[in-house]
Amino acid sequence: MQGGSSGIGYGLKYQARCIADVKADTDYTSFLTGTLSLKEENEVHLLRLSSGGSELICEGLFSHPNEIWDLASSPFDQRIFSTVFSTGDTFGAAIWQIPELYGQLNSPQLERVASLDAHVGKINCVLWWPSGRCDKLISMDEQNIFLWNLDCSKKSAEVLSKDSAGMLHSLSGGAWNPHDVNAVAATGESSVQFWDLRTMKKVNSIEHAHVRGVDYNPKREHILITAEDESGIHVWDLRKAKVPVQELPGHTHWTWAVKCNPEYDGLILSAGTDSAVNLWYASASSSDEKTSQSPVESIRQRVNPLLNSYTDYEDSVYGLAWSSREPWVFASLSYDGRVVIESVKPFLPRV
Amino acid sequence: MATEAAPMDEKAKRMRDLLSSFYAPDPSISTSGSSISASFDNINSTSFDADQYMDLMIKKSNLEVLLQRHVQMAAEIKNLDTDLQMLVYENYNKFISATDTIKRMKSNIFGMEGNMDQLLQKIMSVQSRSDGVNTSLFEKREHIEKLHRTRNLLRKVQFIYDLPARLQKCIKSETYGDAVRFYIGAMPILKVYGDTSFQDCRRASEEAIEIIIKNLQTKLFSDSESIQARAEAAVLLKQLDVPVDSLKDKLLEKLEQSLDGLQIKPEEASLLAEHNDSSNDAESNEQLPAKIHEDAVRGFSEAMRAYREIFPDSEERLFKLARALTAMHFENMELYIRKRVSAADFLRIFRIIWEDVVLMDEVLPEAELSDLSAEAAQVTVKKFVARTFSHLQQDISDTILKFDINQREAVEEEVLKVVLEASKKAGIQGTTDIFQDFRQLLDENIGIFVKMKDLIIGWIQNGFQDFFRSLEAQFLVLSGKTSSSKDIEGGLVEGKSSDKIHAGLILVLAQLSVFVEQKVIPRVSEEIAASFSGGNSQAFENGPAFIPGELCRVFHAASEKLLQHYIDTRTQKISVLLRKRFKTPNWVKHKEPREVHMYVDMFLHELEEVGKEVKQVLPQGTFRKHKRTDSNGSNTTTSSRSNTLHNDKMTRSNSQRARSQLFETHLAKLFKQKVEIFTKVEFTQESVVTTTVKLCLKSLQEYVRLQTFNRSGFQQIQLDIQFLKAPLKETVEDEAAIDFLLDEVIVAASERCLDVIPLEPPILDKLIQAKLAKSKEHNNNNNTVSS
Repeated sequence: MQGGSSGIGYGLKYQARCIADVKADTDYTSFLTGTLSLKEENEVHLLRLSSGGSELICEGLFSHPNEIWDLASSPFDQRIFSTVFSTGDTFGAAIWQIPELYGQLNSPQLERVASLDAHVGKINCVLWWPSGRCDKLISMDEQNIFLWNLDCSKKSAEVLSKDSAGMLHSLSGGAWNPHDVNAVAATGESSVQFWDLRTMKKVNSIEHAHVRGVDYNPKREHILITAEDESGIHVWDLRKAKVPVQELPGHTHWTWAVKCNPEYDGLILSAGTDSAVNLWYASASSSDEKTSQSPVESIRQRVNPLLNSYTDYEDSVYGLAWSSREPWVFASLSYDGRVVIESVKPFLPRV
Repeated sequence: MATEAAPMDEKAKRMRDLLSSFYAPDPSISTSGSSISASFDNINSTSFDADQYMDLMIKKSNLEVLLQRHVQMAAEIKNLDTDLQMLVYENYNKFISATDTIKRMKSNIFGMEGNMDQLLQKIMSVQSRSDGVNTSLFEKREHIEKLHRTRNLLRKVQFIYDLPARLQKCIKSETYGDAVRFYIGAMPILKVYGDTSFQDCRRASEEAIEIIIKNLQTKLFSDSESIQARAEAAVLLKQLDVPVDSLKDKLLEKLEQSLDGLQIKPEEASLLAEHNDSSNDAESNEQLPAKIHEDAVRGFSEAMRAYREIFPDSEERLFKLARALTAMHFENMELYIRKRVSAADFLRIFRIIWEDVVLMDEVLPEAELSDLSAEAAQVTVKKFVARTFSHLQQDISDTILKFDINQREAVEEEVLKVVLEASKKAGIQGTTDIFQDFRQLLDENIGIFVKMKDLIIGWIQNGFQDFFRSLEAQFLVLSGKTSSSKDIEGGLVEGKSSDKIHAGLILVLAQLSVFVEQKVIPRVSEEIAASFSGGNSQAFENGPAFIPGELCRVFHAASEKLLQHYIDTRTQKISVLLRKRFKTPNWVKHKEPREVHMYVDMFLHELEEVGKEVKQVLPQGTFRKHKRTDSNGSNTTTSSRSNTLHNDKMTRSNSQRARSQLFETHLAKLFKQKVEIFTKVEFTQESVVTTTVKLCLKSLQEYVRLQTFNRSGFQQIQLDIQFLKAPLKETVEDEAAIDFLLDEVIVAASERCLDVIPLEPPILDKLIQAKLAKSKEHNNNNNTVSS
């Protein structure tokens, strides 16, 4: 394949796991990323793709008190984002605001808007209301799921409701359904669980083990994509969630993250611990293909779902984000702290 | 002679032309042959212009040619002249002889008129005399005639009075034909005078006739009578105006009922086939079923023949019957082959049916039985071929699954190997048998099979193609890689069944796919090329024929897929193990390591199992580990060496700041040759084991990265990894990669450690030795228990 020399690189000082698209920034294509260092001063980098798309500029660099395990940008204010952090044995989650005058300050401090401190267990992720101005947030730890109401002006967040998934499930991550704001998917030890936020109850689940990543297809209702440790990527139709609609081979080792393109239906990006990012095209309509999907055969097939494999990474890739402003651009982050921006334009399906 | 004949002909032709031109009314007609080209230089043509010709001549030719032409022309003119003279002379001669003839005719005609008058007179006198004779004899003749008429009338009356008695006599002597003839002869008179003078006579004869009709009917129905007699009876009945149709219906119904007896019931079919087989020795004991059947059918066709003769208008009905019987035969045949039937048995039954059809076809050629049965036979043979293939597939999967049931209890024994060998054998044996069967089909020389030969070859080729395709699909279903359609409907069933599938089975299937690809398919294609080629292209119009290349590809893909699936399921199992290990303890508050953690044992045990399975099924790679034997001896030295190396690295990283440590590892990675962790899996024991180990170590690294460790936690990891090193290297071919991955795990742990202080080498060594001793003791215990 093409290797990935076309990508634009950027190096963080330390190891890092998470990168997020700044959705609210309508003027530039920007990403937020945070480092994961146990012993050093951690940083949050605000990266901006130059207008020509040839350079990645560090627009802001802020120190963060702890190592960052999860990071998400707010969909309505480009200066607000959430992190999940750890001090080694404790976990916390907070909402931060990038200071107004950061251009002048040398190493500006982030303003803490609110702490999501109702958790007792290990927090996994914070999810923002999928789109538009709404002050609702979800945070998940291994057993509980919390719905928060965030008040930026008062700098406070309060728990609206919570529910426990039970000891055994040990939730690991999730996604908020963009088509139905009352539905949230959470990945657990042995299943993907679906919650109704109005009742705060579990309504449905897909019994499928070892799901690492989950993402809703923003273009198609009822379509969910999961990434698993050993068995690759599965596309599900939530109306008949017994059997996957489609199966993609995934990565040589674990498939860590999977993201649907916000604009082009069927374009899927996956990151794996085999130091590669794969670009897939999975047309959900072709259900007849699923019977014969496999790493070997699919390569031979005329319609190969694997469009490209970006392999220019030194370490496992954990962070992955599409740009919502330029939907053909994605950012990937490998564990060694290298951010790579790539354009998938050459692989876009001709419509 | 030939040279002389040509000018002679030439001359004769010219003569004829001249003559015809002379006599012909239209000169244009005569110029047929000689003057096709009507140009000027053709003298014989009508449009010949002498002046023009002359001009042309003078213009065209020189003097010599002109002279020559002159001489030639002069000669020709002379010739023509003599010819004409001859003609005139001949004509004159004929003219003279004609004049002579006319003169003679004139003299002969005198005196003819007198003779004629004499003749007339004589004839007149003859006539008058004959008239006289006639009138004198007239009266006598009239009298004689009257007498004769009376006598005839009397005879008739006598006949009618005699009729009842005569009929009775006929009944006694069973000459019904005569009786009917008499009766019909008397019929008109009886009709006219029956109510008056011959009343008694009529009644008596009618009674007699009724008896005759009754007798005739019984005769018609009795099977013992000869067909001719029955046919005659039918004809007589018809002559007597008895309603025959109802009789016919009754008879045909009876025939229909007899059809049931002629069926070859599926249960009996095998019996029939068997008996046919062993007929020679058991011949005397009893009538054989096949023989009985044949007789029955013969009787049936005879009856049909008879009825056809008796009732010519019943053909349609008979056709229907015959067709019904044929159709029934083939239906039963289909039922029969639903069970497992060998080609020989199949053919035997088929032959019987075909004989039946031929028998019936002789009687009723118009019923187009052979066409009907040819169609039915095609369907049946096609089904038979298809069914044979499905049986083969069933056999193979049965062989695989049969062993699977006992597998769990007897992993120690080489069950996998047995399964593999058995299914290989089933595959080879099955295809061989199938070829034998099909060869029998092809060798069969019943007319219908000869016709279908091309079709059969097509079906066989198609059958193999479909067979291999579905076999591959079944392999995948068996392995749980794809869920069968049934499971999709069931939904939940799929999840369960895939859990149940034994990993070893997947491996067996993978190896079996390779076997099919490399052995079975080439063999089959060879066989097909040898004895089943030359199928008409028409037969393949609908689907592709046997394409070994494509099938090989399919099975190649399947084998790789299955192998990958095997590794996946195996690593998944280990992954679960590792996940439990890393999720459960609180690594930040870990206690000091006291011994190697037991998950290492479980990990190694799983690997051992993989090794065992792999050893049973897969071939050994070309790469032989020479170190394997002495690695046990040098165990301690290698471990201590790497230990010191590691120690060195650790202390350094400890003393320096972690930031530079990260930088350092990056730098080290840059300079270290990038170790290829994920290489393609090959079908060898070593490759599979290595890949499994690599994937598991990578998983281990990833799990480590997700945790945060305190000093003791890190030390525990260090200890576990150190312990793993020796046994892993022993089992795996790619030592460099394993080293790299193990180091990576340590590095990952140190990166995620709050306080990196590695264990002192002596302590590490001591703990490992303790573990080794313990496991040895455990093994010994096990051995003593088992022995």
